[in-house]
Amino acid sequence: MQRATAPYVLILPSFILAAAIILWPLKEIISLSLHDVNRFGMIRDFIGLQHFRVLFADPDFIAATWRTLFWTASVVVGTLVISVPIALILNEDFYGRGIARILIMLPWAISLTMTAIVWRWALNGESGMLNSALRGLGLIDTNIQWLAEASTAFPMQIFIGILVSIPFTVTIFLGGLSSVPDDLYEAAATEGAGSWDQFRLITLPLLRPFINIAFVLNTIYVFNSFPIIWATTQGGPANSTDILVTYLYKTGFRVGKLGEAAAVSLIMFAILLVFTIIYVRLAMREAKS
Amino acid sequence: MTIRQKICLLAGASLIAFSTSALAETTVRVTIAEYSKGTGPYFEEAAKAFEAANPDTKIQIEVVPWDNLQQKLTTDISAGANADLSIIGTRWLLDYVKEGIVAPLDDHITPDFKARFIDTFLSPSVMNGKVYGLPIAASARAMYYNKDIFAKAGIDTPPATWADFKTDAEKIKKLGGETYGFGLQGKEIETDVYFYYGMWSNGGEIVKDGKSGLDSQAAIDTAKLYKSFIDEGLTQPGVTSYSREDVQNLFKQGKVATVITAPFLSNQIKTEAPNLKYGVAPIPAGPSGDKGTYGVTDSIVLFENSKNKEAAWKFLDFIFTKEQRTKFDKVEGFLPVNAEEAKDPYFADNADLKVFTSLLPNARFAPVIPGWEDIAQTTSNAIQKIYLGQGDPEATLKEAAAKVNETLK
Repeated sequence: MQRATAPYVLILPSFILAAAIILWPLKEIISLSLHDVNRFGMIRDFIGLQHFRVLFADPDFIAATWRTLFWTASVVVGTLVISVPIALILNEDFYGRGIARILIMLPWAISLTMTAIVWRWALNGESGMLNSALRGLGLIDTNIQWLAEASTAFPMQIFIGILVSIPFTVTIFLGGLSSVPDDLYEAAATEGAGSWDQFRLITLPLLRPFINIAFVLNTIYVFNSFPIIWATTQGGPANSTDILVTYLYKTGFRVGKLGEAAAVSLIMFAILLVFTIIYVRLAMREAKS
Repeated sequence: MTIRQKICLLAGASLIAFSTSALAETTVRVTIAEYSKGTGPYFEEAAKAFEAANPDTKIQIEVVPWDNLQQKLTTDISAGANADLSIIGTRWLLDYVKEGIVAPLDDHITPDFKARFIDTFLSPSVMNGKVYGLPIAASARAMYYNKDIFAKAGIDTPPATWADFKTDAEKIKKLGGETYGFGLQGKEIETDVYFYYGMWSNGGEIVKDGKSGLDSQAAIDTAKLYKSFIDEGLTQPGVTSYSREDVQNLFKQGKVATVITAPFLSNQIKTEAPNLKYGVAPIPAGPSGDKGTYGVTDSIVLFENSKNKEAAWKFLDFIFTKEQRTKFDKVEGFLPVNAEEAKDPYFADNADLKVFTSLLPNARFAPVIPGWEDIAQTTSNAIQKIYLGQGDPEATLKEAAAKVNETLK
């Protein structure tokens, strides 16, 4: 009996802490999402799933949901694809590697909001750096109005998203690469494996757990990432670059529909919960093997 | 215990005594929206001056960027942690009054106090016959035009009507180069208002008889007019990527010949582009002579749950004296709200401000309706679609009007 209860008693303090930080706000948000709430957070009548019904009838919300999934997938996959070669290069021993590593990591030190605001200026149609650079190189004759339409604004936002996710991802991969023993490559080379085979058969499988972690963590960060889109377009024009977080912010703090905003955040929480479960399962599988 | 230690103890004890007496003072917390980098310093200075005259009251100024003001107020109020006084947009006031968040000020307002104000600016804060806020900031809109570009294009006077304006913009286009006649805002805060300028000239209203005016002929004509400016290359390209600040910057750089905005642009030009030759003119009139400008006030309100209403009122009384108002409006470039202040030569002899004040009789203030921000967002989205050519003006506006009518219900 003693032995059976002891683990639970030991877990209790951290459980209470987690409950206070996670479960209590969750309960509050659920309650907000099921009630009529005025713009100052005062709870009125219970209205059941009305807020959810309104949301699913709103084409802007549906579009924002799909766009969020596209945004997350593009940024995460783009980041992984670019980060692997960067990590491989930075793992090689070459003159000036220290500086190269610093250059790759440097953007990490700048707040995301500031990076996004700098990009907003750079993308300005008439006085932006990007247009003047492209004109200077003779690539374009007339200015491109990057942020005027979703067709140019959203790809740029994805590009910025990838750019700011690289440092973190490369760091994870470098950690992974340093744990690959050199004698494996030596042995493979003696057996006649070329560098592509070495990458495919040794590096990639051994890097796999790190790719998994980078995948899930990036997914969670990017899914919730607010500053890039907010600072460049605020989800506009006409909601055409909205993702769920910017939609949530507008609904809650601009329009003052706190009940609907709570419902959006619950839906986001549900989607992220699925990712987290995947992450935990991956981590457990790693621990077993 | 040595004497030294005793002295230390005594000093410590007196410090504690002092700090408790400091706590016994009344503290009035004031949330301030940051209009410019001068806002915070002005209020800190005003608070110090007030504290010097009222040693028992402490003023605690909290400066918030304008964009975050709504968010801060929403979270503070729902947590019951709001300040005693706060600046809010007068267009939000009805929502606050309806929920009983703000206190009426009538018990404190003497006829003398009321007489300080120019009535046009005080009346937007009056609801159900009670004064719920005092106009802390007031502005109107007029058309800034670049005299050099106009002269180069052979135009002598600023356009009186939208038809003239279009002819002028065509002349400016003929100059070639990357100079555009109409600086048109199509992004972020007040995208809707930029559309209303034309709509008012065409005789339209934001809300008429409790219904949205977006599906009126005036609104449809305006949308077509603005769209023709865009399609014919008379505005800067990519209007939906230009916020109010962006268009103002284009004007300062001499890339657009006109911009419709508030008097604070004069202050900015003075420091950022002192060589720019510009004039200020009324917003062009419509075919039947209708014209209008947007009058905006922000109000400072007293919260119902404030425990220091008396002290808070004293501070209000202080910042609405002629001296304080003059200082503040000079810093920010707002219009004077105080009748005596308006006689100050700085305002009375200022050519730019004269144009703005002359427009006030035709000024439209945001209508007293619930859900202003909701309507603003619907309107801006519809207008952006039209500017981008993603929707037929008439159909898009009708759809938006239906949505606004839902909000107005």
